[in-house]
Amino acid sequence: MNIKEDDEIPSLNIPSVDPQKMKTMAALLRDPYPIHWDAEGNEKMGIKGKVVNQGPLNLSYLVNMLMNWQGQDCIRRLTVRFTGWVLGEDTLTAHGKVISIDNTNNELLAECEIWLERDGERLLEGKATVALTDN
Amino acid sequence: MSTMVPSEEYMLGLVGHRFPGGKRTIDRWENYLLTDCTTSPQLDDGLVHPIALFHIPIQGVQTSIAELFEIGRVEGAGSVGLDGYDWEYFQPVREGVEYSCEGQILEVERLYTDDGSMYDRFVFAIELSDQEGQLVARATSFWRLRRGKIEH
Repeated sequence: MNIKEDDEIPSLNIPSVDPQKMKTMAALLRDPYPIHWDAEGNEKMGIKGKVVNQGPLNLSYLVNMLMNWQGQDCIRRLTVRFTGWVLGEDTLTAHGKVISIDNTNNELLAECEIWLERDGERLLEGKATVALTDN
Repeated sequence: MSTMVPSEEYMLGLVGHRFPGGKRTIDRWENYLLTDCTTSPQLDDGLVHPIALFHIPIQGVQTSIAELFEIGRVEGAGSVGLDGYDWEYFQPVREGVEYSCEGQILEVERLYTDDGSMYDRFVFAIELSDQEGQLVARATSFWRLRRGKIEH
């Protein structure tokens, strides 16, 4: 494979965000913030009956896309900005695109734009530095 | 959302606050469940899923999300927003390895949204090092501590 600038990273589909996984995640993180597990309590935020996915899980879909592309140990840096909530049962797609490629410390690194979408709306976006292990 | 808004002086005084620091080892069961939550297949060779860089550093410096909320004087649904992360990986993070964790609050800034709602930008960074003292990873988190609409 010969990866070059402007190449698109194979996207990753998330058919339905699972609220049960948010509960496990809350326990692992020891996260007391109720928006991740108290669907009824979210009424005052206008999302009664829905729970909000944890930020690290939103990012995990982009991470999984990158690992599917260049291997499990490919990520060198992630710089991301959260721009919207991901809710339980949302359908999402993770996207990425190569911006530039550099050889740094004898390692071929791709600077990539990455983003997470729901119905064309970006909910998370940023950059990833990825080691090109398959180039 | 908390009705008690901490003073700007208190918030700015948090800059430079160092967390106690400590050691953290990621167990197999923990990484298994974490990876499962992401919907990824399990990783090879004891590699820890990269999103562990959220909670492992926080727990490793002997603080917690609850304590960070307390330090930032926020409580209740909608009081905290996640603005972003800057996570750097210098070496693979693996299960069963003891990492030393150290970190501090880097920046605090009181700001207002266009509609007049007050919030504090709250930035903290934590580093993980191996037992030889080599830097393994650095996690910088950017939070938004919402204070609500302020009447002038």
